[in-house]
Amino acid sequence: MTPVSEVRPPLIEVRDLHFQYEDGTQALDGVNFTLYPGETVALLGANGSGKTTFVLQLNGVLRGQGSITVCGLPLNKETLPRIRSKIGMVFQDSDEQLFMPSVLDDVAFGPLNQGVPEEEAIAKAKLALRQAGLADVWNKAPYHLSAGEKRRVALAGVLAMEPEILILDEPTTFLDPPAERNLLQLLADLPQAKLIVTHNVRLAASLASRAVFFEKGKLVATGSVDEIARRFEWTYADLPPADLRYSAHRRF
Amino acid sequence: MHHVLLDRWSQGASPLHRRDARAKILALLVFLVVLATTPPNAVAVLATYAALLAAAILIAQLPLGLLMTRAMVVLPFSLTFALISWLAGEPLRALALVEKSYLSTVAVLLLAGVTPLPLLLGGLERLGSPQLLVLVAQFLYRYLFVLSEQAQHMRLAAACRNGGAGHRRASRFRSATGALAVLFARSYERAEGIHRAMLARGFSGRFSLLHAQRFRAGDGAFLLLVSAFLILVRLG
Repeated sequence: MTPVSEVRPPLIEVRDLHFQYEDGTQALDGVNFTLYPGETVALLGANGSGKTTFVLQLNGVLRGQGSITVCGLPLNKETLPRIRSKIGMVFQDSDEQLFMPSVLDDVAFGPLNQGVPEEEAIAKAKLALRQAGLADVWNKAPYHLSAGEKRRVALAGVLAMEPEILILDEPTTFLDPPAERNLLQLLADLPQAKLIVTHNVRLAASLASRAVFFEKGKLVATGSVDEIARRFEWTYADLPPADLRYSAHRRF
Repeated sequence: MHHVLLDRWSQGASPLHRRDARAKILALLVFLVVLATTPPNAVAVLATYAALLAAAILIAQLPLGLLMTRAMVVLPFSLTFALISWLAGEPLRALALVEKSYLSTVAVLLLAGVTPLPLLLGGLERLGSPQLLVLVAQFLYRYLFVLSEQAQHMRLAAACRNGGAGHRRASRFRSATGALAVLFARSYERAEGIHRAMLARGFSGRFSLLHAQRFRAGDGAFLLLVSAFLILVRLG
């Protein structure tokens, strides 16, 4: 039986995407990818395999060769503002995302760029902060927040734009276990389709319905998180502690 | 001046804190103009300005001694120029230079201490300051903390590997310049990251700050009163 999501038009469709950095590094090499409504897809792969480069292509922050369609709109200069309203991206380093002097200013940044009037932007920002469980920090400066709070404010910053797709780059980096747990719960409750760039298989397994694996700029496999993790040995779970000690000795 | 301290001061609820940022910025501007045009020998007038600033600090419920001490940060610079004037045979001008630069710094700290930065920037923008200037001030304020933290981490990492200890001055200087270069490169990388994050949220070159305050009659009265008093003192 065809999954319900696949009878609906895809939210993101990428065909034959290539990208080379200025230093000549071939970061993406013929990537094909489709994201359907309601899906959460984990992007797995080694450091430097092209995962982050790939997601930066989806909202036109980086531009390669190939075709990208988001919510039926082909990605080009004219459609870029609308596509950026549809895709909310949470970056790995929250300090880079929280650049405004107060939390409220920061969360309202996106809606104001969408042309929303100031009063409405404030209302949307406060609603997004409530959604992220941080209603009481709106007048704080970002540097007064903990790592977990910063990550939630960064998420609120994109939720305020009411995107149809969320992209999260290593969402649990620097978070302690309780903060990670809270964030996972929050993400699980959000209705948007999600793309999650991560090394954390536990996170991927708990949120994603599907995983894809990147290797040297190519998308080499797609399947369930469990399948992909086993196939590429993308887990520490199978390795007994003795083996870990042995590999550490061997490495040094 | 550690900006966290200013940030804490600016969260107060005194009558000065409640005034619209634009009224306070314009009052500061008037103060700086009358101060700059006050003759060097008008000691009583300069003393009245100092008394006015002290009164404003007390009304704002800020720590008078601490703020006055922090304002001394300007003295090494102004004393250098004062020394030149002194040696040129103009001791009165030298004294006025120190007094005026110190009082200006106290006034600027007072403004920053009674106005949260977002409101200050919003006020500057609404008064027609170039947006680029406002943006630079905003980013400087926001990332000064992040960069200083990064510099501290680098210093700690160097210390853990015995960096600096027992080395000759030339060697320490070489390490410091290297660290500075790395810090610059990291800042550049961070700037790129910030720009990407801005683009991802629809930034198209025009910055919008929220303006929570409204210019009320009380703000106008405050501005008029302060300006009139300062001009009277200056002309009297």
